[in-house]
Amino acid sequence: MRWLNWSRWYRKVLILIVLCPLVWVLSAVSACVSMPSPPSDLVSKGRDIFFNETFKGNGRTCGTCHRAEANFSINPSFIATLPANDPLFVAEFNPDLKKNFENPKLMRQFGLILENLDGFGDLENKFVMRGVPHVLAQRTSINSNQGPRTGWSGDGAPGDGSLRSFATGAVIQHFTKTLNRVAGVDFRLPTEDELDALEAFQLSLGRQQDLTLPLPLKGIVPKRGQEIFLDNKLGKCNLCHANAGATANFGGRNIGNANFNTGVENLPDQPADLSGERNPPDDGFGRPGDGTFNTPPLVESADTGPFFHNNAIETIEGAVGFYDGESFNNSPSGKLLAQADPNGVSIELDGTQIVAVAAFLRVLNALENIRQSLELLESSAKKGFAERAEDRDLLKRAVSETQDSIKVLDGGGLHPEAVAHLQKAKELAEKAHSSFFRRSGLTQQAIDELRNARVQLIEAS
Amino acid sequence: MLNCYLRLAIVVVALGSTLEAAGQQATEMFIPIGQSPGLSNKESVIGTLESVYPGKRMVTISNSSGSQTVGITDRTMIWLDRSEQKQPNQNGGINDLQKGRKIEIKVRKGEAKAVAEWIKVQVGP
Repeated sequence: MRWLNWSRWYRKVLILIVLCPLVWVLSAVSACVSMPSPPSDLVSKGRDIFFNETFKGNGRTCGTCHRAEANFSINPSFIATLPANDPLFVAEFNPDLKKNFENPKLMRQFGLILENLDGFGDLENKFVMRGVPHVLAQRTSINSNQGPRTGWSGDGAPGDGSLRSFATGAVIQHFTKTLNRVAGVDFRLPTEDELDALEAFQLSLGRQQDLTLPLPLKGIVPKRGQEIFLDNKLGKCNLCHANAGATANFGGRNIGNANFNTGVENLPDQPADLSGERNPPDDGFGRPGDGTFNTPPLVESADTGPFFHNNAIETIEGAVGFYDGESFNNSPSGKLLAQADPNGVSIELDGTQIVAVAAFLRVLNALENIRQSLELLESSAKKGFAERAEDRDLLKRAVSETQDSIKVLDGGGLHPEAVAHLQKAKELAEKAHSSFFRRSGLTQQAIDELRNARVQLIEAS
Repeated sequence: MLNCYLRLAIVVVALGSTLEAAGQQATEMFIPIGQSPGLSNKESVIGTLESVYPGKRMVTISNSSGSQTVGITDRTMIWLDRSEQKQPNQNGGINDLQKGRKIEIKVRKGEAKAVAEWIKVQVGP
């Protein structure tokens, strides 16, 4: 009997001795074969350039400000997590860029980046401080009847003003080693092929088409928010943000992305102004500017604050509330709405209505987060053993998207049951990320939880 | 009610159409002649400055395709391209438009006559 026990124990030890090196060999092989393979198409080439190419400049890449883990934007709480030597802070450690390149205080406190949109002739006085817009859903948001509109004021790109040309201007403004900005010395300009790849990558991000509202939402408050949003006599939101996107729709005609002067610059007590730092007025589109800024998509808004070109408002509720305030109602756009209203009213919403519209936007954002998480997890589930590095990246991004959906719903006190499912989905995706053998099963369970969460938000179509 | 929104539609559509989408001028000045993305050799003209008429505020540019006379207004930006000397590009003026220099002209869209939106002039050391 004792001999049999010893025999079993011996056999187990033997199996372990054989298995350990085998697992080690498999891990090593996996690590080798899952090394990032050379980019095989334009989008992956664009991704590589976006996150890794410094264009022989000061060390920044496109991804320095448009962080994948921060919804291709950046905000003060994310900035606070970065190490002191992150290239974002290049003005703090590169003596050539110490003055008139960035304002580190406004960058760290409010996520503001310095831009010389009215020219580089007077760096001391002529600049504006702007937030970093996300670059999601650009396929739906930059076309207008007058041509492409990029950046906060629609004139963000040199050359032909297209998204493809945008990177050239960004390299000159943000990547330079010195303020001389000499091509071939302080940076190199992107090549034609690189511009093609960057454009393809950016167009691949986020939604590829606009929603069709109304959606069959389940929550009482978000549902009411949607009604107000779509009501051209009450919220009037859908006029300039058709289907919660970035195109304007007047008289049944969609005019594409449009620029408006909504009076954001006239907001009192803007955080950057309160700081006491120099913060010249931003005149928007053109040189000199006409005071207009272009319309951002709203589906992605709730998790990409702070809001407006100057990061003036922190919360989505505050951003909706802006349109009920003096600054908007006295602006050219506000006056135009009032002129067209039979009672001469621009936008008049009460507190509950503001919160309802914000709740609607929170749910839209959460639905988009879930859509993206599902897409990422489904792609992950299809990956083979040899594609482990790519698979882990997909899972990491799915976790991040799911986390955003939790934050967006929780922040508005919305759909606690959905939040519970999202929490589970996130935990399962995290486990899948670190699991060697159970990845596939855990990923499938995370997908199921995401679907359960979505069912709480919207009627099944 | 319908009239109100129709009026709004007309005003906004009219307002929208006056806002011509534009390339950013601020960073354009640092792009060497011939390298402006989507523009150079497509929508801009690159050639040699054949003649200058400061009084009439006009310049003629010539290249292998022929020659073209373009007007200059107060809104025309003139930039000195010094990138070949590894020097920073600078703002220039009409006096920098000298015969024989290599130039690139972007013509403003939507004007009855050809008017330059910007001119880049290559200058020597």
